[in-house]
Amino acid sequence: MPPSRSSTLAIAALVISVATSGRTSLAAAQDLARGAAEYQLCAACHGDRGAGDESHGAPAIAGLPAWYLTAQLQKFRAGQRGYARGDDTGLQMRPMATSLHTDADVADVAAYVATLPPATPAATLPGDAVHGQALFAPCSACHGPDGGGNEALKAPRLAGQADWYLLAQLAKFRSGARGAHKDDVTGAQMRAMASTLVDEQAMRDVVAYVRTLAPTGGTK
Amino acid sequence: MLEWLIPAASTSADEIDWLFAVIFYTVGVWFVVAQGIFFGLIFKFRRRPGVRSLYVAGETKDEKRWISWPHYAVIACDVVLIAGAIAVWRDVKQVIPPPDETIRVIAQQWAWTFVHPGPDRQLDTPDDVVTVNELHVRNGTTYEFELTSQDVVHSFSIPVFRLKQDAVPGRMIKGWFRPTKTGTFDIACAEMCGLGHALMPAALHIESAEEHAAWLGEHTAVAAAAAGSRS
Ligand code: HEC
Ligand code: HEC
Ligand SMILES: [Cu+2]
Repeated sequence: MPPSRSSTLAIAALVISVATSGRTSLAAAQDLARGAAEYQLCAACHGDRGAGDESHGAPAIAGLPAWYLTAQLQKFRAGQRGYARGDDTGLQMRPMATSLHTDADVADVAAYVATLPPATPAATLPGDAVHGQALFAPCSACHGPDGGGNEALKAPRLAGQADWYLLAQLAKFRSGARGAHKDDVTGAQMRAMASTLVDEQAMRDVVAYVRTLAPTGGTK
Repeated sequence: MLEWLIPAASTSADEIDWLFAVIFYTVGVWFVVAQGIFFGLIFKFRRRPGVRSLYVAGETKDEKRWISWPHYAVIACDVVLIAGAIAVWRDVKQVIPPPDETIRVIAQQWAWTFVHPGPDRQLDTPDDVVTVNELHVRNGTTYEFELTSQDVVHSFSIPVFRLKQDAVPGRMIKGWFRPTKTGTFDIACAEMCGLGHALMPAALHIESAEEHAAWLGEHTAVAAAAAGSRS
């Protein structure tokens, strides 16, 4: 069916309104094209589509919500994450975040990464998912029963994240390599939770359970 | 003279700047003299109507001394400059004076870790202070550093000390400095070490004895653990 005159007009009006609203409108405040250009740097470790790369220790970030990406990038920039001796991967990520000079740069790249479809990294670690399910009960209060995250509580989506990365982060929370900076409030909350996992095996089991949850994209 | 561009904040910086000035002025004087003579001769023997050009083979004694005298002068200057350079190299790089304190510097992609000996001035004791990307030193103290790299080749560069030393994985390289000026200055990596090479700056804080003691007091491992904050 050929497009009618009125629908052509409607599309034209839409294009004009989007084009002219520019940076004044909140919805269009993030510039995806700039974000995509900035992402060229990130792709070196996180992969073209943000699926992560274990050889770099880089997590899957595709489709994580923009609020979480922004929060973490700002923590790296402020030295609230990637501050500790021995946190080699954190110390590698930190200068990448400081290379984003302005808050707008951070917002743009976060907005772009959030549009990428979430990856499903392969399993790399053994663990007892049944035991892990029991251990995950308290976690679901913040991260959601499906591991989908909760913006109000600033808890990120865990489902769809690589198991080796989740394990490494739990270990960092426990050792104080993450979440121990005095200005990192949400990190401190998560630190307390990580310390409830009594040993390496408990961490592996809970991670094994998280692996069974399917990632959901979007802004939850 | 280099101080017009960047402060000099260690004894080595003063020596290197002195050598730099000696070289600059020696070469500078000769440059001006040589260019003066050169352009003077060009002007003096410029083309004139009715005067035929002369073929100069440079074989007579008074022609040859235009070459040989500057030659002797260059050799004499070289001896002075090389002697100066050897003396400065020996002081700056070859002989480490007895240190008051030893610090450890660890390079990695892409950060610097510094191990300060703490109030007891001894490394490997519980009061050592470990920091990432900030180095605190006491003015007027002789420091020896032990430089290592955890991954690839980096270079420990402190422009105000005129210090630059490669960090090579698998080796521990020693060096020294003695700060002469308080203030906060840059530390950089001066050897391409990957994506984050340009993004691994650290801060050098040269403090008075009192300031340094106060900083150490706040940052000994015990204090840091109690505060639950980063080292
Ligand atoms: C040199 C490799 C490298 C590059 C380049 C890089 N990253 Fe990272 N990134 C990492 C590593 C390694 C981690 C994991 C840090 C840790 O272990 O705590 C990480 C973690 C992150 C996280 C935290 C994810 C989470 O779930 O908490 C975000 C967000 C992130 N990177 C975004 C970016 C963006 C945006 C860029 C581009 C500006 C970028 N990274 C470039 C290596 C890199
Ligand atoms: C009180 C709410 C809360 C609870 C309960 C909780 N978390 Fe978290 N978790 C958070 C917050 C907030 C963050 C983000 C921390 C930050 O801002 O750096 C987080 C981050 C994480 C991360 C890092 C994710 C990433 O992408 O880097 C992991 C892994 C994690 N939590 C696992 C768990 C597990 C396993 C449990 C159960 C033992 C748990 N959490 C319980 C709030 C919580
Ligand atoms: Cu380097």
